[in-house]
Amino acid sequence: MSSYSKEVIADLVAGTLPWPQTRRIMSAYKDDDRFFKYVAVLQGRVGWSDPILLPVGDHLFICQSGDERVTKCECGHSFGDYRKNWKLKAAIIVRDSEELLREIYPNSDLPDSDWMEIREFICPECGTLHEVEAAAPGYPIVHDFEPDLEGFYRDWLGKPLEPSNKGG
Amino acid sequence: MLDKPASALRIRERLIESERLMEETGCYDGITELELRNQDPLKFETLHTKLRAYCVSAREMARRISASPGVREVGEMVVAIYTPEGDAIALSNGIMVHVHTMSRFIKWMIRNGYEENPQIRDGDIFANNDAFIGTVQVPDVMDVMPIFHSGRLVGWAGAVCHELEAGGITPGGDVALAQERFTEGLFVCAEKVGENDELRRDYVIRCERNLRMPIYWVLDEKAKVASCIDMRESVKALIDEIGLDYWMQVSKEFIEEGRRAQLARTRQLTVPGIYRGHTFYGHVTAGKPGYQPLGDPDWLYNIPIEMEITSDGKIKMDFEGTQPWGYHSMNCTPAGMDGGMFVTLTQHMNFEGLVNDGAWMATELKLPKGTWTNPDNEMVATATSWALLLPAYGVFQRLLSRSFIARGFVEEAFVGQVNSPMIEMGGQSQYGTPFGMAHFECAAAGSGALAIKDGLDTAYVGWNPESDMGNIEIWEQNMPMLYIGRSIVPNSGGAGKYRGGCSFLSTWLVSKTDHLRLVTSEHSSRVFDNGGLCGGYPAPTCQKHRAVRGSNIFELAENRAPLAHHTGTNPYRSELEVRLEGKHVTLEGPYITAPHKTGDVFTHSYNGGGGYGDVLERDPVKTAWDVENGFLTKEAAVGIFGIVLDEDEEGFPVANLEATERHRAEMRSRRLARAKPVSEWMAKERERVKAADFAPEVKKMYASAIKLSPRFTKDFSTFWDVDAKSTFGVE
Repeated sequence: MSSYSKEVIADLVAGTLPWPQTRRIMSAYKDDDRFFKYVAVLQGRVGWSDPILLPVGDHLFICQSGDERVTKCECGHSFGDYRKNWKLKAAIIVRDSEELLREIYPNSDLPDSDWMEIREFICPECGTLHEVEAAAPGYPIVHDFEPDLEGFYRDWLGKPLEPSNKGG
Repeated sequence: MLDKPASALRIRERLIESERLMEETGCYDGITELELRNQDPLKFETLHTKLRAYCVSAREMARRISASPGVREVGEMVVAIYTPEGDAIALSNGIMVHVHTMSRFIKWMIRNGYEENPQIRDGDIFANNDAFIGTVQVPDVMDVMPIFHSGRLVGWAGAVCHELEAGGITPGGDVALAQERFTEGLFVCAEKVGENDELRRDYVIRCERNLRMPIYWVLDEKAKVASCIDMRESVKALIDEIGLDYWMQVSKEFIEEGRRAQLARTRQLTVPGIYRGHTFYGHVTAGKPGYQPLGDPDWLYNIPIEMEITSDGKIKMDFEGTQPWGYHSMNCTPAGMDGGMFVTLTQHMNFEGLVNDGAWMATELKLPKGTWTNPDNEMVATATSWALLLPAYGVFQRLLSRSFIARGFVEEAFVGQVNSPMIEMGGQSQYGTPFGMAHFECAAAGSGALAIKDGLDTAYVGWNPESDMGNIEIWEQNMPMLYIGRSIVPNSGGAGKYRGGCSFLSTWLVSKTDHLRLVTSEHSSRVFDNGGLCGGYPAPTCQKHRAVRGSNIFELAENRAPLAHHTGTNPYRSELEVRLEGKHVTLEGPYITAPHKTGDVFTHSYNGGGGYGDVLERDPVKTAWDVENGFLTKEAAVGIFGIVLDEDEEGFPVANLEATERHRAEMRSRRLARAKPVSEWMAKERERVKAADFAPEVKKMYASAIKLSPRFTKDFSTFWDVDAKSTFGVE
């Protein structure tokens, strides 16, 4: 069974682990003790103490905040109840003109902004760009991920979560 | 001879029983216990690997028999061994899309009473390229041969090659212009095409008289038959060694083990729950020659996917909400959709080579009847089904990757595949003979980024994990065009902390022909048909075609003046326009025009992959290296990533870290100043939705999705707090 130190996992997550070692990890059988080491690495990285329950993006985490479970940005900004779509509480930049699209695509042929716009979902506090959608105008915002958090901890990790009375 | 069973259709009854047992026990063929594996795991594992080795060596041998650069150079082939009921036990590497397609073909024959007529005998060869029976598209021609041992059907050997020429309305394999089945090319619909290990002469003659380049199809047939015979003999020798009963059970246990392995791996790598994503595809044909007015000339497809990972580890994909089938060649069949699932799964989850139909049983696809994924009209064309399959399964890769990120296996997160612009050609070759060919250098484009590093440059394509662009010299032998350029397309990967892999562009000079037809397909217009992940941007995948008719290139060459070797980085004025004279063409949508002739210059670019992460976190030093090597432009470095580059004494770009930090701080605050609360944006946008103030093709897309999908209608109505049906005039 493979198993790696927290330091190796931290470098792997940060993209700083040397490629030969990364390559070996990619080819080897998976380390089944990865999840809690991974969460511990992320907990050490964020500047706040609410326990992380599940990462859902590069800088986005579901965490236990008092008796609530919320989606939180790495800077600490909370987007509210983890079961709701955090994007609805985010800030947005919509690139729906040639000029705005050119900023991101200086040398390519552009989409027709009547058919497609680029939507950037940003943390209103620290300005991190969490997700980008390329969608037809009028298309509903995507609710990317609704994890079965209780089922995951109970059935797959074998460490049931304390029942949490309130979500939002 | 097969001893006459009590009923003539013994295999069909066995197939029905096998499916019933699976239904009752949830395990393949009712195998609730892996007895042989438990008795001797080492023997079990060795035999499974041995079977795979038979397939791998049979494929390598067959590739030498083929005359097709697609098969020889790029490996557009896969071979496999099946149970008598038609379930895949082991496969070679190669085009893994076919893990389940040949199963469907074999089962179709069994269900349609082939045992009785035309009968299944030792030495028989059956062929198929009908997607509604079991393949992805017309050029995917498959051959299967039964394996008999001591008078009993004990399995099948199968092989499929992707043909470069199919004899359709437009030259090449993926016949883009086909709007119905009847112009897609030569069909072989589950037919017996050979006996006693030999292809029937009348079948070969049919191929020779219906194809522009019969040598590809005919020699591929011989290659496939040779590989099937090779595998068949290996399996028979193996049965002599291990015994018939042991074989009949172990071959089924391999499949049940495959099913359990797939569920276990999902529980190991992912997180249960609901995942959602979407992409789009634009098609523009107004005013283009050859299209019949059977449907709207320009249209926009939405491809939404909802994936559920259940607590027992099953992956369910639901395409509810997508668009109806159409009079175009991009429809797909359940067999093709299976194929898309497999070509993706084999790269992400069962990569140790032992994939088989067991994995298929651990997944589920919901393909709404009447949509392009499951047409309720078997006369539709599926010649370029990859045009929608690749974007759809790129979404699947991003959904899977989000589950890997949540579970902690960041090294497995991969933004995935994008569409694969095909170029098909035909007419008069440089040797003065008729020819037809699909150009398969598209097998080496850019990949999406990973969560820990940039994507692969010019070295990946979703449909053939052994990505290879083939050698220029080989391609030049097979077409009347000479390469005057093959170059990286800067900024062709999606931007992000990690950028998507870049693609390349080929620039050709048409040579020694006055009749060369060029047709392209499987590339979106007006919209990007991919996406980024966790803040990464989509790759720019709606490139136009640029060409010059009757150029002065020979004159320039004579005067040793500079030629054009690529289109450059100015989208408003290409390098062709700067350097060459002649009739300049810039074309949106599929490239289909009057034939070309010697002296014309034509360019065609492939796609990069989507990006990952926030652009303001990209590594300045790697970016300087990318600018120096043509993967990114200086404009992109500073404008998108906020990285300030100075030049060293030799003029090479060097990252100025302090200036970058200051510039990025400004960009971050400008970002915050520009951004609005989503609620505020939604309130304003809702007015536009209520007025249905959208382009006609966008309105049609919504109306079609609403008509077909109650869930899409409910979600749209709930999100915008409108009545979706009345908004878009749907009864």
